[in-house]
Amino acid sequence: MVDKNTMLFKVDREKPVEPRTVLESVYQSLKEKGYNPISQLIGYIMSGDPTYITNHNGARSLITRLDRDELLEEVFKYYLEE
Amino acid sequence: MCYNQPGIKRKGDLVLEKFVINGGKKLHGTLQISGAKNAAVAIIPAALLVEGVVTIENVPDVSDVRILIDIISEMGAKITRLGRNSFTIDSTEIKSCEPPYKMVSKLRASYYLLGALLGRFKHAVVALPGGCDFGNRPIDQHEKGFRSLGADVKIKKGAVYVKANEIKGAHIYFDNVSVGSTINIMIAATRAKGTTVIENAAKEPHIVDVANFLNAMGANIKGAGTDVIRIRGVDSLKGGHTYSLIPDQIETGTYMIAAAATGGDVTITGIIPKHMESLTAKLIEMNVGIEEGGDYIRVFGKGKMRGATVKTQPYPGFPTDLQPQIATLLCLADGVSTVYEKVWDTRFQYIVELNRMGAKIKADGNTAIIDGPSTLSGAPVRSNDLRAGAALVIAGLVAEGVTQIYNVRFIDRGYEDIEAKLRDLGADIQRVSYDTEE
Repeated sequence: MVDKNTMLFKVDREKPVEPRTVLESVYQSLKEKGYNPISQLIGYIMSGDPTYITNHNGARSLITRLDRDELLEEVFKYYLEE
Repeated sequence: MCYNQPGIKRKGDLVLEKFVINGGKKLHGTLQISGAKNAAVAIIPAALLVEGVVTIENVPDVSDVRILIDIISEMGAKITRLGRNSFTIDSTEIKSCEPPYKMVSKLRASYYLLGALLGRFKHAVVALPGGCDFGNRPIDQHEKGFRSLGADVKIKKGAVYVKANEIKGAHIYFDNVSVGSTINIMIAATRAKGTTVIENAAKEPHIVDVANFLNAMGANIKGAGTDVIRIRGVDSLKGGHTYSLIPDQIETGTYMIAAAATGGDVTITGIIPKHMESLTAKLIEMNVGIEEGGDYIRVFGKGKMRGATVKTQPYPGFPTDLQPQIATLLCLADGVSTVYEKVWDTRFQYIVELNRMGAKIKADGNTAIIDGPSTLSGAPVRSNDLRAGAALVIAGLVAEGVTQIYNVRFIDRGYEDIEAKLRDLGADIQRVSYDTEE
């Protein structure tokens, strides 16, 4: 029987990715395109707008696979705990 | 009605075109979205701040952009086309701070020239902007911002005069959330002395795109996309960079709604799904199928749609630029729907045209009540503005029989190749020229 209930599919989110891997990859993509990567990442964390992240190497899609709090948690963990 | 629009060039030089749509065909396939028109019309003026050559890519080939390119060319900027959607701008030798009155008055976004010229040359004379008429569209917040930066602002003879000995950073709190004012002040403050803080700033994606562009050229702007933007002024912006515009949020939404309206199955690629959340949520509420990936959204029909309530708001709320299109979709849904237009005073002029096609919509002030579902039938209708024109195209795609949409020039302001894109998805739509007003 066909399920007629409303569904939202988020296909790309199914594969787990590590926050550190995402941050490093996006950082590199931003750098390659001539942006200030730290400034752009802060802009994204603060606003939630993927416009801050270049589409180069699929960086924009990649960063949206994690919630911003997961990225921030990784940064704080590294800075305060490691 | 819109006024001073592209298409009407000179007496005897009138381009008259209409769309003829044979409706009732479901849209199927994949569609690539163009660059954001609203970002392009802000970033092109912002390029005047740069003393050097900048390359801009993914620029939509729409009439608003073509007019703006003509304007800055007249002012002395050198434009080199690299392709249909990319070009270089060299603003080193700008010779005029008074863009041509007649050209400027053709489009709303011309007011961004004020911020750019004030920022670089400390003065500008720009005709009051044109664009579509949604009621009172004041520029008082622009004036307030420019004055805060130390400029003298006067409006006389249909033009805005701004002049300053020095642009100084300031703390500006906007009385209302205004996209145009936020962008204009951000542009001007880029080359101010000191730091400018804009509070109660608008958060639309194209504001972030403008900030990204300016930062790539050497500006220091932080917080775009939030309600507080901080701009540390810099002495100059250097060229030599390439910038690619974000995909068009409103074009994406228009095709999402068109897919839903026809009950088809369309995948829209090269987009930023985050920008579509208010529409995606509403479509799901209406029982439209949505599949979302990293840079695409698939929209497909699931049978009967449910009515809904839509309220337009600044981003991240539901965009006013998608209000006519969603109202058209709600005509096809079961039950009573309500649309509240909270951004502009009068943006329901298109309702009379939809009712001519069989819709049952009553508008009172800023509220429209839609009694659905309606079976739309083809009719000759007239587009009154850009997004209303897109809504009529959607209605024509669904309607039984033939719909003729006049005033296509309004649609051409913001949609690149709309008829070709729709034909690729299976629509029967033709652009037809005619000699005299029908």
